[in-house]
Parts: sequence; C-alpha cells; structure tokens
Amino acid sequence: MTTLWILLTGMLVAASCSLVGCFLVLRKMAMIGDAISHSVLPGIVIAFLVSGSRDSLPMLLGAAAIGLVTVFLIQLFHQGGVQSDAAIGVVFTALFSVGIVLVSAYTQHIDLDLDCVLYGEIAYVSWNTIEIAGIALGPKAVWGVGIALLLGVLCISLFYKQFKLCAFDPALAAAIGIPVALFHYLLMSLVSITTVASFESVGAILVVGMLVVPPSTAYLLTERLGRMIVYSIALGCVSAVAGYYAASLLDASIAGCMIGVAGALFVLALLFSPSHGVVWRRWRQRRLAEAHRLEAH
Amino acid sequence: MLYRLARRLRFSRMPLVLAAAGIAAALTACGSSTFESADDKIKVTTTIGMITDVVNEIGGDRVAVEGLMKSNVDPHLYKASQGDIKKLDHADVIFYNGLHLEGKMVEIFERMAGKKPTVAVSRNLADDRLRLGDPAQGTEHDPHIWFDVRNWMSAAEVIRDTLAERDPAHAQSYRDRADAYLEKLAQLHEEVREQIASIPESGRVLVTAHDAFGYFGDAYGIKVMGLQGISTASEAGTKDVADLRDYLVENRIKAVFIESSVPRKAIDAVIQGAKAKGHDLVIGGELFSDAMGAEGTEEGTYVGMVRHNVRTIVEALR
Repeated sequence: MTTLWILLTGMLVAASCSLVGCFLVLRKMAMIGDAISHSVLPGIVIAFLVSGSRDSLPMLLGAAAIGLVTVFLIQLFHQGGVQSDAAIGVVFTALFSVGIVLVSAYTQHIDLDLDCVLYGEIAYVSWNTIEIAGIALGPKAVWGVGIALLLGVLCISLFYKQFKLCAFDPALAAAIGIPVALFHYLLMSLVSITTVASFESVGAILVVGMLVVPPSTAYLLTERLGRMIVYSIALGCVSAVAGYYAASLLDASIAGCMIGVAGALFVLALLFSPSHGVVWRRWRQRRLAEAHRLEAH
Repeated sequence: MLYRLARRLRFSRMPLVLAAAGIAAALTACGSSTFESADDKIKVTTTIGMITDVVNEIGGDRVAVEGLMKSNVDPHLYKASQGDIKKLDHADVIFYNGLHLEGKMVEIFERMAGKKPTVAVSRNLADDRLRLGDPAQGTEHDPHIWFDVRNWMSAAEVIRDTLAERDPAHAQSYRDRADAYLEKLAQLHEEVREQIASIPESGRVLVTAHDAFGYFGDAYGIKVMGLQGISTASEAGTKDVADLRDYLVENRIKAVFIESSVPRKAIDAVIQGAKAKGHDLVIGGELFSDAMGAEGTEEGTYVGMVRHNVRTIVEALR
C-alpha cells in the first residue's frame, strides 16, 4: 500500500505541476516555483506569530497567502516593464529576506525553518492520512494535490483558448478583447495554489523540478500546446514511477530520484528529439554537406 | 491506413504508453513485498543514534534495532531515503525523541500511533523539567533533552516499559537490563557533575555553535552561550557575534567549542574577533551535540559521547 500511495502522489504532483508548468515555460517564468519555495518564509513566520503553533494548518495558510502575494507582485512588476526573470528574482529575494529578518528578530529560539515546518516528504505520505467522522479517507497528500490538479484541469480546460493566446501572443489576445491581465493573474494563482499544496505534501525539490523539467522536455518534442501538455504530464508520470524504483534500488531520496529521471529524459530528448535533437541535426547537416559535394562533382 | 494509424500512435502516444507500462509495473511490484524475518525478535526503528543505543542496551538480543539517522547527521537536516520507508513500515515499535526534534516527522509518528506503538522517549518528562526555547516568547520546548543524564534515564524507562508491554514474556529480562543500565547512567550523572565542578567557577562558560547544551548547563551548573538559535538552520546575526566576542574577552574565557554536526564558520569569526581585541581564544575541541560518533567507537554510544564531551570541556576550561 505504501508504494502505491507514493506512486499515486508522485504522479498527481507530476500531472498538476506539468500542467501549469507548460504555460510557465512558454511565458519564460519557469523559475517561479523555486521563487515561491523561498518567498513563503515570511508567511509561515507570521502564521506562527499569530497562531503560536507550528501545526500544519496555520503554516499552510500562511504559506498560501504569501504564495499568492508573490505571484501577484511578480505579475505586477512584469506588467510594469520589468523583465520576467528580474521580476521573479526581485520579489522572492525581497520576501525571503523579510522572512529571515522576522525569524532573527522574533523567533530565534524556535526551530522555524521551511524544511522543518512546511515541506513534506513524499516517503511519508501513506502514513499522513486524514479521516472525517471516523471514516479513513487515505493520505492527505493525495487529497491536497488531487484537488489542486482538479482545479488546474478545470480552469485550463474551461479557458483553454484564452490561456493559449495569452501565452503565445498577448498583444493579439488584447487586441481581440481577451482580458489578458486577468488570465495572467488566474494562471499565476493556479501556480501558487498548486505549488504550495504540493510543498506541504511532498517537499520543494519535487515540485520545482516537475514544474520545469517535463514541460521543457515536452517543448523539445512538439510545438503544439495541446500535445506539449499531454507529453509533459506523461513524462512527469514516467519520471515519478521510474524514479521511485531507482530510489528503491539505490536506497536514496525518492523525490531526488524522480527529478533525476526527469532530468535524464530531458537529456535524451535534447539529443534525440525528431525536430530539435542534436544528434539528428548533426546527421542531417552531414547528409546535406555530402549531397552538396556530390553535386559539385 | 492501418500503418498510418500505427505510426501516429507510436509517435504521439509514446509517453502515454510508457506511463501505462510504468503504472502496470508498479502495480505488479506492490504485491511482492520483501523482508520476512524468521526469528521472533521485536523490530524496533528509532530516529537519532542516542535512542538506538539505549534500545540496544535494554533490548539486548531480543530486539533488532534500525536507526534512521546515521552518525554525524544533523537531525534537522535529515532526508528520508526509500529504504527508510521499509524500516518504518515493518517496525513493531518506533521510538523517537519528540518535542519537534524530528520536525514534521513527529506529526507522522503521531498519526501512525493508531496502527503501531510510536513512542516519544521524552513523554514522561513533565513540563517543569523541560526548558522553554526562549522565556520571553517561549511556547516551545528545547528538544535536546539528552544532555541532562537524568532526562535520558527517564527516556530509558520509557523504552523499558514499552518493550516490556510489547513482549511480556521477556519483561523481566528487559527490567534487569534496564536496571543495570540506569545504574550506569546514575553513575555517569554523578561523574559529570564532579567533573564540571572541577572547573574554576569564573571559567564555567560553555560557548558552542548552536543552542543544544541548555539542559547540560542547567543540570551541571555551567553557563551556556550559543551563537545560533536552537535550529541549526538559522544563522547567527552580526550583533550576536560581536556581543559574544565582547563577553568572552571581558571574562577571559579560555576556549570555545565546535560541534560534530554543525559548521564552524561562525565560531571562527568569534575567535578572530577576540584575537583582534588581544584575547587569545582557542578551540577547545569538538563536541557531539545532535549526533553521536561513528558506530563501534566509544563516542558511538550515549555514555561514551557524554564522557567525550565532558572530558573535552573540562580539559579546555580548567
């Protein structure tokens, strides 16, 4: 059972993160997950100062609130003309430093680091169960990440055309009357909800990795958004399953191995993708050169 | 037509097919769970090395103990590996320190308690024997209880009672072994007190990188000053370093200490600062704080670790 729950959680995280990750990669905001993983620190410190406890719920609420603040600020700065990478960098370092200052000023004698109070560990998901009115409902992580995935699928399938146009050609989208800013904010909120829910269940590295690596791999394999999403979800799930078994062979960290496999798949795609693959491109170039030489003779 | 369909399928659905194959592999693999042990030993899984050691002392050859955290691993920074799941899943009893030492894992242990005994060895310590993290805003207790040997005697009693309850047929053997071990710890307690008392009173100041020695200071009458907060993850502020340096220079304290599981950078800064003010401060040695020494060495046991720390402190400060 343990294995099954871990695999299910891994695949749910892979699916929900890859889904929103595709849009982030297209918008050149791939590192936003990493940014949120740091910027939520002030959220948990404030939540602790208000609630006086380190229980999961206040920590999660604090993190979710600051996660939303993070993405809204990033979007705001980006629209104000700041480059997207610079906007991400500015916002998350600023918020993280606020968190550090709060920790050192108010809570120095309490163990309040993110690893300890917010980030979950995928190895333990099967024991972290919820029950309502005496009925066991299975692992909390499956519910949390599952709901995030459902929300993502719902939003993106409802407004697929709008999201697509906003990602590729915001100017055109604005010209035909789509409220571009609104959709950007909607997407960013989805990202924030997905990442924070997943951080709480499975930890940071898995989420940050799944947001970026499978979509980037899929982008090497296709240029059509629909396919890119399907590919990246599938690649994410394969990485999760293969990574789990790699971790079992090596007796190593599960999240680490899952992202390791995702990275390996990326390298394979980089080398052998039919359209962008380095190997094929070389081969085609050589064929072309040979053809030229033959013609010259 | 069929050929084209097959081609399309192969190219566009490849990742899907792979995913399906992966899931199928996962499902079949789940059925064949490994790890069956023939003997009837009680399988115990522990978190930190100090607990592993006590369970071995009390359980003897009746228990098979597996520790999650290896020696020299800071429990604040421990990462679970895939094999650790099995250790937790197959354990008959799980012992952990509690008081948030294991971070979010403590929540997991509390949830698991419905299925198997998960026992915090700190559970018998009443609130008045626990230190508050910070009196000014302390809502949380300092988890590093093992440096007051009497606290660890209480932990040993918890382990004894849990094992006896779990395996009543051998309860007497656990009690006998525990009595012998508790006797040893009581002697250790006296020994530490005498040793620390042999340091001249003005020099009884223990400066380390992080606040793990609070209980030690309270129990044996030595002033403890740490650079970092309780968590090894928080960083020392500039003012902390300067304040500590001034205090050491003023009181002519001879030595400061580094810890096996915490980087020594901040402590080095204090030493440099004291030197600039004309006070020669040395590193008194390396203390074990959150983790013990390597398995098989003297410092790899709880008693050996405490002795090592006390010896190091006394030699440097006397």
